[in-house]
Amino acid sequence: MNRKTQNLKKTGKTGRKSGMYNKVDKNIITQLEKIVGLKNVIVDPEKMVDYSHDEFSLDEIARNPDAVVKPVSTEEIAEICRLANTKKIPVTPRAGATGLCGGCVPAFGGIVVSVERMNRIIEIDMKNQMAEVEAGVNLRDFYAEVEEAGLFFPPHPGDESAMFGGLVATNAGGARAVKYGVIRNYIRGLEVVLPSGNVIRPGGKLMKSSSGYNLLNLFIGSEGTLGIVSHIIIQLMPPPAVLRSLIIPYDNLHDAIETVPLMIKRKILPLAVEFVPREVIVITENMLNKKWPCTQGNTYLLVILDAAGAEEMDRLSETVAEVCLEKGAIDVFVADDPKKQELVLDIRSKMYESIKEYNIETLDIVVPRGEIANHVEKIVEVQNKFGLWLPTYGHAADGNVHTHIMSARLEGGKIIPLSEDDWKEKLNQVRNELYRDCKDRGGMISGEHGIGIVKKDYLPYVIDKEEISLMKGIKHVFDPNNIMNPGKIFD
Amino acid sequence: MNIFVFVKRVPDTESKIRIDRENNTIIEEELNFILSPYDEYAVEEALRVRETVGGKVTVFSIGPDEAKVVLKKALAMGADEAVLIKDDSPEAYDGLRIAKIISRLIKDKYPGYDLLLFGKQSVGADNAQVPAMVAEILGLPQVNVVTKLDIDDNKGTAIREIEGAAEKVSFPLPAVISAQKGLNEPRYETLKGIMMAKRKEIPLISLQDLGLTEEELLPRLELIKMDSPPAREAGKVIEEEPEDAAKKLVEFLHKEAKVI
Ligand SMILES: Cc1cc2nc3c(=O)[nH]c(=O)nc-3n(C[C@H](O)[C@H](O)[C@H](O)COP(=O)(O)OP(=O)(O)OC[C@H]3O[C@@H](n4cnc5c(N)ncnc54)[C@H](O)[C@@H]3O)c2cc1C
Repeated sequence: MNRKTQNLKKTGKTGRKSGMYNKVDKNIITQLEKIVGLKNVIVDPEKMVDYSHDEFSLDEIARNPDAVVKPVSTEEIAEICRLANTKKIPVTPRAGATGLCGGCVPAFGGIVVSVERMNRIIEIDMKNQMAEVEAGVNLRDFYAEVEEAGLFFPPHPGDESAMFGGLVATNAGGARAVKYGVIRNYIRGLEVVLPSGNVIRPGGKLMKSSSGYNLLNLFIGSEGTLGIVSHIIIQLMPPPAVLRSLIIPYDNLHDAIETVPLMIKRKILPLAVEFVPREVIVITENMLNKKWPCTQGNTYLLVILDAAGAEEMDRLSETVAEVCLEKGAIDVFVADDPKKQELVLDIRSKMYESIKEYNIETLDIVVPRGEIANHVEKIVEVQNKFGLWLPTYGHAADGNVHTHIMSARLEGGKIIPLSEDDWKEKLNQVRNELYRDCKDRGGMISGEHGIGIVKKDYLPYVIDKEEISLMKGIKHVFDPNNIMNPGKIFD
Repeated sequence: MNIFVFVKRVPDTESKIRIDRENNTIIEEELNFILSPYDEYAVEEALRVRETVGGKVTVFSIGPDEAKVVLKKALAMGADEAVLIKDDSPEAYDGLRIAKIISRLIKDKYPGYDLLLFGKQSVGADNAQVPAMVAEILGLPQVNVVTKLDIDDNKGTAIREIEGAAEKVSFPLPAVISAQKGLNEPRYETLKGIMMAKRKEIPLISLQDLGLTEEELLPRLELIKMDSPPAREAGKVIEEEPEDAAKKLVEFLHKEAKVI
């Protein structure tokens, strides 16, 4: 893992104080060891470094916990919570640690509960077309098992090491949200350990329920602040019969993005529409030693279509091609066979890795779909104004734009690193300008990654005071001692 | 320049092959079929030759109706014409039988060619016989396993792989060339290409049209048994703390694998 610096600071920019919590002493460690077994408790600071951060790049927010525990069952999680709640020790749930806003970082130290060992796919229930999994099942294994069963799980967040605990807690999205929606749309039931150690099971193998307040949905997207999710019931679907990826080069970004609303106007709903700049493609090509399907243009739309049959697929792709060519696309290339589709997706999904070394922060702004082109134009303006490279790509059709604020400039296709003095100050200015643009367009600061620590200060900028106060009230009902992932979303 | 390319529909190399032991065939159900990857290099090269010296690219396949799919693909990539020689007999793994059909086809129906392009072998059968046999039957120069090709008016040069080196040869046209991986990077079809290919008629030629007798078409090979390769043994996993794992690994490499 590529960390910006290795020293672990005990306090970060929010001046976190641990005063209101008790320390994890020897006695508590012994009790934890009793609950999960000796070898499933880590206290060695060196071994805990891995548990001090997620994929957010800056060590400013990283912090070692006092102990990491790896339970293997709901009962074990319940015992840990009971102990922590009585002793007033903060608990931070952690899954795949692919989060991008410090969500699983133990902001106040205490106990990190890693669900990594709870990785069983309990069943794939063909009769109900639902799966039940433990919170530590990762996407990669889940897709494989679902495919083996001849079914389909539509959401596709970009990092397949993410685990269901984290996916539920962040309400993850991904490229296919345009057509199939986000994780929330597929979660039917949960088993959750509350901060008190009590266990509840909202929802079930049900397609619908109007029975009281929907606690199930309250947990989805709660970023581990209300309880620890242990089991998840997931809706599956029959797989699409045919898939096709279209790779569409354009000479300019604006035309590419403006095509998207036109496509939607023509009643085409692709599985995914991603826009990607050629400059990042080239860097990724070089890293992987693989070739993108075409060299023309400087921006691409990647449109993935699904259909029930070949005829329908041809009809859909012809309409897409028509709209794109009208809007100035250079050509429309097709990846039909699985190998070619895989190659295209592989390059697309490794783009982040290819620029990660210099990525300071990944923004997750979501604006109404009709506003994407304007927002992206603003990004280019800000990039020129500050001389920071802001490679931007992502889900063009659901309004969710990922801008990477880089500690580098780009010159003639080459990444030129900047010194910390050169980017440090600009980071806040760039972020502020883009958040202002986001708000002006009726957007939100997170479409799918969550607020965590990193975006906490900005939440009041886009969410009404009264709404935040209601959120805090809810938090208090579930977690009166404020032990469950404190310091996230709001203070 | 009149360029012919010969292509085959083969099971996707990524598919899981299941064998019907009773009938000594592979089970086609649930199998994904593709244009044989080496043939795809041949089609791409034909298009590139046409782009530099002009001419026409015709693609042929021998097989059942289903083989039209790979012809359509070649058309979508940019070939001018495609022809199916309809052959419903099961896969015989007999290169000579196919070479005879091809030679008769071009001698009788398609004279006046300059370049015959093949994949170096078809995946699945992997005999690597047909290009050489066609060249022999027709008395043409041949260059196999080609990784670079340059064609002029009536002659060409090619680089071919040989053990530990590359060989450069020149030859007069017409000639037979078989394509190796690395010859080029096949293009992606464009949507326009796919739609044009969809509307394009593919003429059929039957084996009877070629005047081939049943005797001539009988495979000279008898397939006795078909089986899967033995399953690979599971790898060894050392699960220890790093220091112990390193010790164990060294011990294993030294004592069991005997590589250090
Ligand atoms: C290359 C890359 C691409 C990405 N692409 C996408 C994308 O397309 N779409 C998208 O939405 N995200 C994306 N992400 C972000 C990230 O993968 C998601 O936020 C994911 O949902 C996090 O899951 P995780 O298992 O890694 O959770 P973690 O990072 O471990 O935790 C995330 C949050 O969930 C909480 N949590 C974890 N487990 C539990 C539990 N059992 N109970 C309660 N709370 C819990 C944590 O406390 C934390 O607040 C991407 C990240 C990377 C690095």
